[in-house]
Amino acid sequence: MLYVELLTQGLIYGCMYAIIAVGLTLVYGLLRILHVAHAGLFTLGAYLGLIVTNATGSLLLALPVSAICVGFVGMAIYRFCYQPILHKPPYVALIASIGLFIAMEEIFRLIFGPYGLTYTNAPLQSLVNILGMSLRMVDIVIVFGSVAMLGVLSWLAQRTRLGIAWRATVDDPQMAESFGVSVQKVRYLNFFIGSALAAVAGIFVSLLSNFAEPTMGGVPSYKALAIIVLGGLGNVTGTLIASVILGVVEAFGTIYVGDYLDRDAIAFACLILVLMIKPQGLFSRK
Amino acid sequence: MIKRITLFSLAICMILNFGGTIQAADTIKIGFNAPLTGFAAADGKSSSEGAKLAVKQINAAGGVLGKQLELIIYDDQAKPANSIPIANKLIGKDKVALGISGSYSGPTRSAAGVFQEAGIPYISAYAIHPDITKAGNMVYRTGLLGTVQGKAGAKLVGEMMGKKKVVIITLQNDFGKSLAAGFKEIASKYGIEVIAEYQYSMKDRQFGSIIAKVKADKPDAIYASGYYFNCGPLVNQLRAAGVDTPVIGQEGYDGQKFIEIAGTAAEGVLITTTLDRDSKEKETVDFIKAFEEQAGYPADMVAASAHTAVKVAAAAMQKAGSTDPEKIRQAIAQTSLKASTGLIKFNKLGEVMKPVQVQIVKAGRWHHYAVIDDSELLVPPEE
Repeated sequence: MLYVELLTQGLIYGCMYAIIAVGLTLVYGLLRILHVAHAGLFTLGAYLGLIVTNATGSLLLALPVSAICVGFVGMAIYRFCYQPILHKPPYVALIASIGLFIAMEEIFRLIFGPYGLTYTNAPLQSLVNILGMSLRMVDIVIVFGSVAMLGVLSWLAQRTRLGIAWRATVDDPQMAESFGVSVQKVRYLNFFIGSALAAVAGIFVSLLSNFAEPTMGGVPSYKALAIIVLGGLGNVTGTLIASVILGVVEAFGTIYVGDYLDRDAIAFACLILVLMIKPQGLFSRK
Repeated sequence: MIKRITLFSLAICMILNFGGTIQAADTIKIGFNAPLTGFAAADGKSSSEGAKLAVKQINAAGGVLGKQLELIIYDDQAKPANSIPIANKLIGKDKVALGISGSYSGPTRSAAGVFQEAGIPYISAYAIHPDITKAGNMVYRTGLLGTVQGKAGAKLVGEMMGKKKVVIITLQNDFGKSLAAGFKEIASKYGIEVIAEYQYSMKDRQFGSIIAKVKADKPDAIYASGYYFNCGPLVNQLRAAGVDTPVIGQEGYDGQKFIEIAGTAAEGVLITTTLDRDSKEKETVDFIKAFEEQAGYPADMVAASAHTAVKVAAAAMQKAGSTDPEKIRQAIAQTSLKASTGLIKFNKLGEVMKPVQVQIVKAGRWHHYAVIDDSELLVPPEE
């Protein structure tokens, strides 16, 4: 029974990581930028979702509002931060991104206060009994919600003109452009979708802990990097599998090796191990 | 000619500079390091508000030695690497008469060494690691030592509540570890059997797997260390998972934010701390009222501790009759002052000797539950 519970928790963590990391891997796949400020968008999403929910009492409204707003902020970050330095070596964009992330954390603190915010009447907290486990509605919504969102994303990528254009741009931007694909549009779309997903992830996490705080992006900022490296940089399927693996390893790890390694250390030990055996990541195409 | 101009301007500079010193000497400076930004910014805000309130009250009553107090606050982000240059700046540039830490154990430990070396008194308001006062005779602590509070927790669980099978959930830092060490040291005396201990890190907010294991352990009580941003989610998730075992925490929970985060799950949670909200003592009642008026939110342990530390410092300077560091130190050592966190007295090592307050969450507020005043149990180490 304990194992089933730990596995379930691992799955919940994994789904949470997946929707955070997918946005990051999308950006890397397209621009070869390690977009650390993605975690800042995750925090922004959580705050917006929480504020809208508290103001209107409706999470169903808060989710799209926050996702769309954060999507546009993501596009703005591309336009004003990354686009002007795209021709520079990749570490320039990385440093800019880290700087942006730190600035965002402090801006959140100034605007929303140092104490963090809580839901006045947290939604999705009702209890559900499954296989003798007491779970909250939010746990279930996270698992099914992320599967549904990633399903839609994969359908978009496989079945629509937009998706085909996107995949073509990832494979070979110049060739795609010569076939009439607007690379610029694809990039904007990419940032919009990735950031919107981060916003949803932020809301989910704030629901799990009933808390949104300025520094809540700290853990995703580096753990998502570990995940996309594990999954083979830029590979979406690999990222999803790596997220779930990491979630489950952490769930068991906190109990059985928690005295020696903390949760983050487990994630990075996992990363080092994989890189030693398979330096290109678990699911790299190359 | 040029030489003369140079000399002239030099003279002017000296006069201006001298003038500056005269003006600066009108106030007595107290240095204060606190995490105003970063993850611990909330506690930094509370502690600096508490300290500011104390300075305001002291200045309104005529100041110290006929001079006004001036609080110089720097942000250490709760990082040891930041508190060392801050301590140097406070001593070297600002020439403070005394330093106070409104910060966590890590930065306080580092700064304590610098103050000790410079021979300037330093008071830790609420950082709880044992090594802080071991920096030397210049360092004092007005907050309870971690291990002392851990022992009080064991008495509360084992004797007062009569719970014998306990799971410990420990925050992996100076704070959590010294609490757990104190608890475990004395647990067997109260017939407590620690059936398991789990550790988590400062950044953790999701405790699903630990909770799954705690459920399987079936303890009588859970002793969980951590801050409100860890333990608010922890208690919330524990109750959601159907675990209704009593949770015993400590001063890291202290504050309204814990109750907001944990929601109704917070009801019945007990903590050991230093601020009694239902106190009848004038100092505490006045502080709670004045703090809420100034800061706009209810007082917490961190604010009360910083307030106490400033009051202790001011009283010592007044008693010493000068700002000579050695005289201030001697006066601090002989302190016997009623402050917002109770009667403050120090032992040889500079550790405070005061009772532990047990508070409980009732109807969404912290309230009095009991006082642990077992002087034998709570005696801090002398070396």
